[in-house]
Parts: sequence; C-alpha cells; structure tokens
Amino acid sequence: MEHRDEAPREGVTEMVNNGAPDVEVVARVLGGDGEAFGILIRRYEPGLLRFATRMLGNPDAAADAVAESLVRAYRHLAQCRDPERLRSWLYRITGNRCRSHLARRHTNDISLSDAPPLADGSDTWGDLERSEQVALVERALAALPAEKREAFVLKHVEGMSYEEMAAVTGARIPTLKMRVHRAREALLAALEEVVR
Amino acid sequence: MSPIDPRLQEALDGERDPGELPTDLREAHARLIAAAQLVSGTPQLSVAARVMAEIRQNPARVEAGSPLLRSIRWLGRPVTVRLRPAWTLALAAGLAAILLLPFGPGGPVPGVTKFVGHFPGARSVEVVGSFNDWSRGALALNDDDHDGIWHADAVLPAGQHEYMFVVDGERWVPDPLAGRYVDDGFGEGQQNSLLIVRPAAAQP
Repeated sequence: MEHRDEAPREGVTEMVNNGAPDVEVVARVLGGDGEAFGILIRRYEPGLLRFATRMLGNPDAAADAVAESLVRAYRHLAQCRDPERLRSWLYRITGNRCRSHLARRHTNDISLSDAPPLADGSDTWGDLERSEQVALVERALAALPAEKREAFVLKHVEGMSYEEMAAVTGARIPTLKMRVHRAREALLAALEEVVR
Repeated sequence: MSPIDPRLQEALDGERDPGELPTDLREAHARLIAAAQLVSGTPQLSVAARVMAEIRQNPARVEAGSPLLRSIRWLGRPVTVRLRPAWTLALAAGLAAILLLPFGPGGPVPGVTKFVGHFPGARSVEVVGSFNDWSRGALALNDDDHDGIWHADAVLPAGQHEYMFVVDGERWVPDPLAGRYVDDGFGEGQQNSLLIVRPAAAQP
C-alpha cells in the first residue's frame, strides 16, 4: 500500500472536529475554498475507514475505497442534496465503493485469506487474549454475506439508527432490521461454536 | 444457525431493557455487545494527505465555483443546438413547431439549449448538472410572466450531460420531460435527467 499516511495527530483531529457545522464547511468548499474539504475529511475519515475495513476485511483495500470515495464526494459535493446529512451521504458513497470492490472479487464475502486465523476451539472466551477475541469476531463478521455484515456494522459498530442506515444503504427499515437480526443470529452462533 | 429470542433482538434494538432479560439471554446480549465493541477500534491510518493531493492536482470542481469562469469556458466550447419540449402541451407544441423550422435568419440560434420546467408557485428554479460541475447559482431559470413555466437558455458542448432542477434552493427534481434518466451513483435509486447534445454537424 503506497499511499497510507500516518493517522492525524489528536490535537489536529480535535481542532477540526470542534469547528464549523458541516453545512458551513460544505458552503465554503462550494464557494471555491477547496482546502476546507480537509476539515470534512478529518471529521469523517476515522468512521469511514472503520466501516470500510469491516466491510472489506483489509485495511489497505479500505484505505483505497475511502480515498476514492472522498475524492468522488469532493467532485460531486454540489450533488449532496442535504448537507446537514453529510455523514450519511459519505457513508453511502463509501458503501457503494466497498460493494464495487467486493464485486471485483466475484464474491460478496471477504476472502478467508484476508481474515485473521481462528482461535483454538478448546479455549473459552475468557481464556483468549483480546487480540484473539478481536480476530475471532473479525472472522465471524467476514463469514457473513456483505449485506448482513454492512447492516451489523452500521448498527452496532457505527451506532446508527435504522433511519440513518436507510439513508446510507437505500434499503427499507424492515429489510434492514431483518438483516441485522440475521447477522446477530449468525454471529452469536459462530461465536458459540468456536468458543464454548 | 437458529433464530434468537425476539426479546434479545428488542433489547439489542434498544426497545427493551436488557436488565429484564433472563440470564441466558442477558449473557448473549452482553456477548454480542462485547463483540461489536471489539471491532469498533479506529484504524491507525489516514488518507487525508492522499485525498487532498488528488484534489489539489485537479481542482476542477473548485474552479467551477466562479460563474464568470464557467461562462468563459462555455463560450470557448464547440457550439451545438438542442431544443427541449415544454411542460405544457401548448408550449411543447410551440417548441416542436420551432424544431421543424429550418435554421436561418430569424430561426433558433445554433448552440442554445433550452431548459423548460413547470413549477407553479416556485420562488426560484435553477439547473445544475455535469456541464457545470453541479454548481449552484450558475444557471437560473426565469418565469418573467409568472405563469409557472420557468425557462433558461445555455450553450452546452456536444456530448451526454446529466442534470437536475433545483427548486427554491433546496428541492432537487429530475426533469419529467427528459425522456432519459441515469442512476445518480449514490444509491437510494435516485436518478438524474440525461441530456444528449449532438455535434453541430450532425444536426438536421
């Protein structure tokens, strides 16, 4: 991965996160202040990178997807019909980009080579190191179909309401609830199967 | 995989107090919440510098923010002709009649694209599209006689253009008379209107 940069320093992140509302920043960018787009990047890239990483199972692929999405968002910022819901719009673009990446792999599932190794089945949950617990959950997430993985991540990792998830995915709320419910069932089953 | 108790789903959806769950469901609730927290860490990387470099390298969208620059650029592009039908039958018939006339002195001006929309009661209507980088405030429609029919002329280059009407500065509306539409690429099944401008040499 050639273009990965260091994460922003905490002070910088705080400064940009405490700044003007999205609507004002969007207006500045549309008014010709392209540098102001950096404020929006710093504000939303941690969540977008987290979301894309969980969707693609690979930080490098996630970085590519997020970078492409942010450039696309900049180019089409005037098409953002409701800047007050900029976060949903950015997640929607990133979700679409992740789906494109997955489609190029000819499968909706994350390749097992991308997922961390399985924990030893003889262990109990409490016996596992935190890194092993993380690896186990990542692998269980990776085994989910993309739509269910996306629904679970938006709900439980990004903490979105079903209304915002609908804005991000374009799916109806009952459909999203069903996907989240099925994802929970699959995850719980996977966790109980591996760690008893 | 078997269905999990609906009470657990309700608790996870915030519709039920987890403390009211039986012990086994409470444990399952805690396990799922803990699993989500385990993968909630923020990756220690940033694409900010990469994205800003790309933007600075090709700041086309920002440049498009100046109406004067856009106008100058449009005037420098190849001249084409396209006329659009009107919203109302009468105006559509009138425009159709104009389309049938041969170009010449007194005829329609080559290079002009006419946008027409019926928006009674609207305070403002403008067109944004791929031809002006979706910039607001670049091409306003007028309704001088207050009949609800808004129109504007623009010179567009040959090719395919996506566009939308923006009504009262906030409502994005596809052109019902466009005839062709394409997905806007941002999910939700939203569509942009499609306008195809033929090269001047191909005009009848």
